Amino acid sequence: MPETATPILEFSAMGVQLGGREVLSPVSLRLHAGEFVCVIGASGCGKTTLLRAAAGFVPPSSGQVRRQGQRVTGPSREVAFVFQDYSRALLPWRTVRGNISLALEAAAVPAAERPARIDEVLHTVGLAAHGGRFPAQLSGGMQQRVQIARCLAQRPQLLLMDEPFGALDAMTREGLQDEVARLARDQQLTVMFVTHDLEEALYLGDRVVALRAQPAPGRPSVARVLDVPLPRPRQQLGTKEHPDFLRLRRELYADLGHV
Amino acid sequence: MNARWRDRAGALALLAALMALWWLAAHGQWLNRAFLPTPEATLQGLVDGLYQGTLGASTAATVGRMLLGWLLASLLGVALGALIGSCEPARVWLQPMLEFVRPLPASALLPLAIALFGLSAGMVLSVVAFGAMWPVLLATLHGLAQVHPRLREVAAALQLSRSAFLFKLGLPNALPDILAGMRLSMTVSLIVSVVGEMIASQSGLGQSILLAARSFQASELYAGVLLLGAVGFASNALLAQAEARLLRWQRV
Amino acid sequence: MFDRVRGAVVPLLLMAALELATRTLAPGSDAVAPPSAALRAGWAAALDGSLWQATLFTLGSAGTGLALGAALGMALGTVLGLSRRAAAVGSLTVELLRPVPSVALIPLALLVFGFGPSMEVAVVAFATLWPMLVLTQAAVRQVEPQLLELSAALQLTAWQRAWLIVLPAMLPRLFVALRLGVAVALVVAVTVEIAANPQGMGYAMMIAQQSLDPALMLAWLGWIGVVGYGLNAAALWLQQAVARRLGAAS
Repeated sequence: MPETATPILEFSAMGVQLGGREVLSPVSLRLHAGEFVCVIGASGCGKTTLLRAAAGFVPPSSGQVRRQGQRVTGPSREVAFVFQDYSRALLPWRTVRGNISLALEAAAVPAAERPARIDEVLHTVGLAAHGGRFPAQLSGGMQQRVQIARCLAQRPQLLLMDEPFGALDAMTREGLQDEVARLARDQQLTVMFVTHDLEEALYLGDRVVALRAQPAPGRPSVARVLDVPLPRPRQQLGTKEHPDFLRLRRELYADLGHV
Repeated sequence: MNARWRDRAGALALLAALMALWWLAAHGQWLNRAFLPTPEATLQGLVDGLYQGTLGASTAATVGRMLLGWLLASLLGVALGALIGSCEPARVWLQPMLEFVRPLPASALLPLAIALFGLSAGMVLSVVAFGAMWPVLLATLHGLAQVHPRLREVAAALQLSRSAFLFKLGLPNALPDILAGMRLSMTVSLIVSVVGEMIASQSGLGQSILLAARSFQASELYAGVLLLGAVGFASNALLAQAEARLLRWQRV
Repeated sequence: MFDRVRGAVVPLLLMAALELATRTLAPGSDAVAPPSAALRAGWAAALDGSLWQATLFTLGSAGTGLALGAALGMALGTVLGLSRRAAAVGSLTVELLRPVPSVALIPLALLVFGFGPSMEVAVVAFATLWPMLVLTQAAVRQVEPQLLELSAALQLTAWQRAWLIVLPAMLPRLFVALRLGVAVALVVAVTVEIAANPQGMGYAMMIAQQSLDPALMLAWLGWIGVVGYGLNAAALWLQQAVARRLGAAS
C-alpha cells in the first residue's frame, strides 16, 4: 500500500475507559489514504468504541487519535459517520433530497450549488429516482444508501462505518457491500469499516484488524492485523472461493473464537 | 361500499332520532319550557340573534379573543419552550416548577388579573394568552427532549451550530408534540375567553349566554350554546386539518 | 432527593423576590400582597375551618361529577369500543357534542338547577363524560387482537372473555383515562365556582379579591395549585400502581 507522509488516521496507544471499565486497551494503528480497513471482533470487544473515538464522539482515556497529523478533539465535517440504525439517523420529516441537503446546509454550501451536488450523490448511490420520497417510504437498504449519500455529500477525508449492513437481509447486504467497495475505489475514499461478520471484513478490506473481546494486561485489544492481498475488484462468488480468502478466514476464525 | 353508506345513514338516523326526542320533550313539556325550548324556538332565536340582535357581533368578539390569545400563546410557548429546551441547565432547574403550573386551572388566574388590571378586554386577553401558553410550552419542551441520541450525534458530526440544531432538528422533531399542544391550547383559549367574558362583562358569547340565563330567555341561551359548540367544532376541525397537512410525512 | 431540592430552588427564589418587591414597591396594596401575608391568611383560613369547608365542597362536587361522567362515559365507550357498528353510528353525534365547551353549559345549568352543588356536578359530569368515553373506547379497541384470538381458541364464553381477558387488558388504560378525568374534573369545578357558583375554592378566591383582600386571594390561588398538584400526583401513583400490578407498561 502506498505510504503517504502523514497517515489519514493514527491511533497512538489509544485506550478508552467508560464507567470505570476498560473498554479498549491501548491500540496503535495507522490508516493511509485510500485504504479500506475493516475492524472485526465479537460483541463487547470495543470495535464501535474505536470507531467513535476516531470520529471524535468519545475522548480517549489514554494515548491519542490523530487525523492528518492533528489531534482529534471532537467531531468534524471532514469525517463522515455511517450509523447502523439508519432509520434513526435520518430526518423523517425531510425527503431524501432534504436529508442529503442537511450535510450541505451544515457546511454552508451556497443554496444555488446544492441541487447539483445532491443530484451527484443520489446518482452515485443509485437513488436518483427517489429524491422526493420520505425515508419511511423506503426499504432498509435504500435508507442506508440515503445515509451513505449524505455522508458522501460531506466530501469527507475519512468515512467511518459502524456495522452499516448489520440490520439488513443477506441479499441487500451483498449488494451494498459491492456498492461501497465501488464507491471507495471510484472516489478514493479512506474507509474504516466495523463489522462482526468475518467474511464481510475479508471481502471488503485491504487490511483486517481483529480485536479481542476481553483485553487484559499483556493481551492488548488488537489481537491481529492482517493484510488482505485478494485481487480487486472483488466478486461475491469468485473472491470467496479464492484460496487466500479461505486461508485468511481460517486464521481469523480462530482469533474470533479464542479471545 | 354498502356497509359505509349503511353506517352513514345510521349516524344520521341517530342524530335525527335525538332531534326528534328533543322536539317531543320540548313540546310535551317533560321539562319546564323555561329550561327546554323547542328546536324551532331555538332556531328562531339563533336567526333573530344573528340578523337583528348582537349574536353575530358576540360570536366575532369571542372568536377574535380566542384566536388572538391562542396565537400569542403559541408564539410565546414555542419561543420560551425553545429557549429553555435548548439550554440544559435552564431546563433542569425550571422543569419542576413548570410541572407544578400544569394542573392549575387557567381561569384561576382571573381574580389576580382583575386585581392587577381591572375589568377590561386586555385583562381577559392576558389571562387567555398566559393560560393557553402552558400546553404549548410544555409540549415544546417535551418534544425537544425527545430528539433521538442518534440525531444528536449526526448534528455533532455535521458540526451544526446550536441555533441550526434547534431549527433544523429540534423544532421539526418536536412539531407533532407542538401541534398537539396547540390544539389543547385552543381549547383552553376558548374556555378562558368565555369565562373571562362572563365575569368581566366583556362583550362576547360568554356574556350573551349568561345574560340570557339571567333573564330566562331559554331560546337565546340555547342559540348561544350552539354557536359556542360550533366555534369549538370548527376551530378543532381546522387545526386537525392543518396538523394532517404539516405531518403528512408521518402517514406515508 | 436532590432533584426535588433543586426543583424547589427557583420557586423559592421567586417567592423571595416577590416578597421583597411587594413590600417595597406596593405596601398596603389592594391588588397584591407579599407571599408571607398570603401564607398567614391561608393558615388563618385553615384554622377557622373555611379552608377545609370550601376545599371539601369543590372536591365533593368534582368527585360526584366525575363519578357520573366517568360511569356514563365508560359505559358508552365500552359499547362503542366493542361494536364497530355502534361506533360508526355514534361517532357523528359524539363529534358534534364533544366540542361544546363545558363552560358554555354553566348558564344553562344555572337556569335548570339554580346555585348550588347540583349545577356544578352537572357541568363537571358533561365535561368529564367525553374524554372518558373516547379513552374507554380506545382502551377497548386496543386489546391485543391475539388475546382475543386466544379467547376464541380457548372457547371462552362472552362473560369469561370480558372478565378474564378484556377487562384486565383495559384496566391500565382506564386508569390513565381516570387520571385525566380527575384533572379535568378539578379544573372545571374550580372554573364553575369562579364564573357562577357561590361555593367552593374558586368562589372563595373571587370573594377575597372582591373584598380587596389580596393576601387571602393569593392564599387561595396557591392552595388551588397545591390541591391540583396533589390530586394529580395521587392519580399518577394509582395509575402506575395498577399498571405494575397488571404487568402493563406504564
